[in-house]
Amino acid sequence: MRDHGAGLPEWLRQSEHYLARADKDTFINKSILALVQLLAKIRIQDARSEGKWRVNTALHLLLTLVLITLVSLSAGFSFVFVALTYILVICCFIPIEEMKRILSISALAGVLTAVIMFPAALWGNHYSITVLPVKVFTTVAAMHILIVTSGGWPELFGALRLFQVPNIIIFVLDITIKYIVLLGEFSLEMLYALRLRSVGRNKNKHQSLSGVAGAMFIRSREMAQELHEAMACRGFSGEYPRVFRFRLTALDGIYSAIHLVLILAFMYTR
Amino acid sequence: MFELSDVSYSYDGRPALRSVHLKIAKGEAIAFLGANGCGKSTLLKLLSGLIFPLTGSFRYNGEAINRQKMDDTKYAKQFHQQIGFVFQNPDTQLFCADVFAEIAFGPRQMGLAEQDVAQRVGDMLELLDLRGFERRQPYHLSGGEKRKVALAAVLAMNPDALILDEPMNGLDPRSMRWLAEFLVQLNKNGKTLILSTHNLDLVQEISPRAVLFAEDHTIAADLQTDNLLGDLELLKRVNLVDPYYHQHSDSGHTSFHIHSY
Repeated sequence: MRDHGAGLPEWLRQSEHYLARADKDTFINKSILALVQLLAKIRIQDARSEGKWRVNTALHLLLTLVLITLVSLSAGFSFVFVALTYILVICCFIPIEEMKRILSISALAGVLTAVIMFPAALWGNHYSITVLPVKVFTTVAAMHILIVTSGGWPELFGALRLFQVPNIIIFVLDITIKYIVLLGEFSLEMLYALRLRSVGRNKNKHQSLSGVAGAMFIRSREMAQELHEAMACRGFSGEYPRVFRFRLTALDGIYSAIHLVLILAFMYTR
Repeated sequence: MFELSDVSYSYDGRPALRSVHLKIAKGEAIAFLGANGCGKSTLLKLLSGLIFPLTGSFRYNGEAINRQKMDDTKYAKQFHQQIGFVFQNPDTQLFCADVFAEIAFGPRQMGLAEQDVAQRVGDMLELLDLRGFERRQPYHLSGGEKRKVALAAVLAMNPDALILDEPMNGLDPRSMRWLAEFLVQLNKNGKTLILSTHNLDLVQEISPRAVLFAEDHTIAADLQTDNLLGDLELLKRVNLVDPYYHQHSDSGHTSFHIHSY
């Protein structure tokens, strides 16, 4: 074998006298920040799933769907405001950062609905611009609360078994979340590498970024191929049995009782 | 060259580094050892200016490195030229259409004339035994070849310090031996060498100084590599070797191995 260690080129033996010039890396930096935030959110969700005080995820999903259905069916103001009050009270028990996020996203959805319904209000349909935005706000907030307070995505997808959702769909959802994390980490490393090697003025930033996107595409294809082969080796034949334990606690009882009160309120206000 | 004082870092509340004090001089070769998840890669990212200490301070040539400092793109680019980082997974580092463009990326960024760029790429291809690979797409190379291209791409910028995250991963024994010799050669020619590794046999050859991380993300020892590897109780305590690992020093050489019975 050749002695590669010997004979370093002259320029490599000397210290580089390079003076960098300023350049804008805003797109790369923003992409890195967005990916870091996305991965952090998923990790926080996973860490939260280890929490002690948690309602059974299947029950949580079922009762959230019941609440959303009741809000949709209610014709008057009364029940919608009861549900809104309930959602806001629940928000008070959520960590402040999550609470801010839930309220801002839900408020945005409500405002957009109001804007869309504005012409109807001009024609005298005041119900559309008063109740519908509140209904949308309540529904979006209820779904976000479910995501934030449930036992993580895998458990939430597993709970879909109760609703007779086919195994293959649950499998696809499970794999999707896993690969968002894996490909997210991979693309984060690629963007880091691009930033580290972008030591001068890069006129062809888009070319470099398209290289990153291309490498990501190839990597995702390879990962899909490897997953398929690994699953075939383990005897996968299209079935994805998912064991889901349905165990209730006292907290689940309290949570169910609150929703029973909401159902009674719905019936009373009809 | 590098100075870390009481540095701590965590990922979403999960600690990765705790109260790290470390000084690395220019031209030194240093290895970070430790079990998986003890914080080695996090420290390397921190030394590369990709992440910043949550507490404590990190100084490079006397200047504090923090987010504000690295927001100065001119300084950040200068810093990244001087500190070359070779990632653990070479796939994440290769994003150009072919090997030539990959190695030429850094020198072109530095504004070198195309003739000088070609010179550097040619030297790197020769040095790393990659002749004939110029027009090959990086994603079609073998693991060892990808690692060589990633190393060539960083070296082409002629950094003062080279940081390598688990450089021996995925290499066959012959390539490992070659890489160890190559890194020693670079260090002898003035490059500061910082690497993380699990390979206890080769670390003795590459770096005279070793820093051992404990599983609680603190530095358990910062010693001469020979002394550190001689303390088997310490290595076992940080979960770096299993109880059957041992060395023979009476046979004219010292190497860690396990007997098969």
